Amino acid sequence: MQASRARLFKEYKEVQREKSVDPDIQLVCDDSNIFKWTALIKGPSETPYEGGVFQLAFAIPEQYPLLPPQVRFLTKIFHPNVHFKTGEICLDILKNAWSPAWTLQSVCRAIIALMAHPEPDSPLNCDSGNLLRSGDIRGYQSMARMYTRLAAMPKKG
Amino acid sequence: MANQAEASPRKRKALDSELGMEAAVATDMKQLEAEEAAAIVLNPSNSVGAGASGSREVFPEEYDWSCCRDDDIMQQQAAIREEAIKIPFVGDKEPLSSLAAEFESGSPILKEKIRLLAEQYTALRRTRGDGNCFYRSFMLAYLEHILETQDIAEAKRITGKVEQCKNTLQSLGYTEFTYEDFFSIFMEQLESVLQGKEASISMEELLSRSRDQFVSDYVVMFFRFVTSGEIRKRAEFFEPFIAGLTNTSVDQFCKSSVEPMGEECDHVHIIALSDALGVAIRVVYLDRSSCDKGALAVNHHDFVPTASADESSDTPGNSTEPFVTLLYRPGHYDILYRR
Repeated sequence: MQASRARLFKEYKEVQREKSVDPDIQLVCDDSNIFKWTALIKGPSETPYEGGVFQLAFAIPEQYPLLPPQVRFLTKIFHPNVHFKTGEICLDILKNAWSPAWTLQSVCRAIIALMAHPEPDSPLNCDSGNLLRSGDIRGYQSMARMYTRLAAMPKKG
Repeated sequence: MANQAEASPRKRKALDSELGMEAAVATDMKQLEAEEAAAIVLNPSNSVGAGASGSREVFPEEYDWSCCRDDDIMQQQAAIREEAIKIPFVGDKEPLSSLAAEFESGSPILKEKIRLLAEQYTALRRTRGDGNCFYRSFMLAYLEHILETQDIAEAKRITGKVEQCKNTLQSLGYTEFTYEDFFSIFMEQLESVLQGKEASISMEELLSRSRDQFVSDYVVMFFRFVTSGEIRKRAEFFEPFIAGLTNTSVDQFCKSSVEPMGEECDHVHIIALSDALGVAIRVVYLDRSSCDKGALAVNHHDFVPTASADESSDTPGNSTEPFVTLLYRPGHYDILYRR
């Protein structure tokens, strides 16, 4: 508990210091609880998520950094590796490939990379996975783009 | 679904063999050996019949593998984990006769090898089979040695090495705060086994710390960082071994098979850790291999650190016999104690 708190505090300071380094990621720690964070990430360019801003919720276990943070999308997203209803993310580094060498910041980078490179063979969103697996890139992209517009962009007018 | 899809190549291989994709070679000595060892490691208290007969019941030849689904695999993995946590991270020192008792109904080759082992070694200490057994064995064997010998020169030497490892990680671009806590927990343990200080600890305390989840896991993670740093630093040297082992890049290998907790240790890891810290490690192999001619012998391999260029030839510990001695049974490491 003490160790995880200390580590998170270091991450907090690092985030403050390097705010401008990664303009695509904005990590914010809860005012009253260092084990709760949220992040805003920009959808990567040349993907159907481009132009969208997606919110992530981090719940950090007491054994952090030996155990990974629990991360999920708060913003609705149509992606093979993200559960459409719960926002749960299927990413190896958040499960068995986790190591303390990762940070909340680098986890955000990994999630952005996952957005750009979906892994349709281990889908949490089967509809999205099936579109990609059957080669219907256009179908996947238009669905993903539609949800980006609906959920991840400011409403017009 | 997700679990299986994400399994590392090595884990996937293990799954495949559990699924019986290699059922055709069930008579293959190696596989039987591995199963036998796994059964033993999981259930060391079961002294009689824990060997081959037990494992055959788990995987009967006529087993219908088609009904083995993700759920079953996950259930089995959970059962393995449950079984593993019944054993403390590191056990008590046991006489070698407990090993003999365990194999009483086992293969005659193993029984003979255990007899030979008893000529050189008096005791063993078991470790939990959770994928970290090599690092945990190494941790306790090393710190116990320092505690007993009070070898201040060796402690000084390894302190210098640890400092170098830190620099290695830094120059590889690791963020300092991601590894520094693990380094300081190890250094704390090293300093406290040296006597005559306020923070000095006894063997009992060392043992209880090795069984403490926080200290034990942090030291394991320290070794994982050190191992990963050494492999990356000498990527050119390690690359062909890694390619032969997993067919992945050095970077990917370190990320998926070295740094995460619970990832088992292979020769590559041992070489890297031994080199990085400059500590020789003897691994004694207890398996069913034998040769036709001549008497049966227990094989061992000494991992002797290669002296790096910046060191003079008087590096202590290199010329003498390794003081860290581990017993390897396919898939698992325990600590061995010399006569």
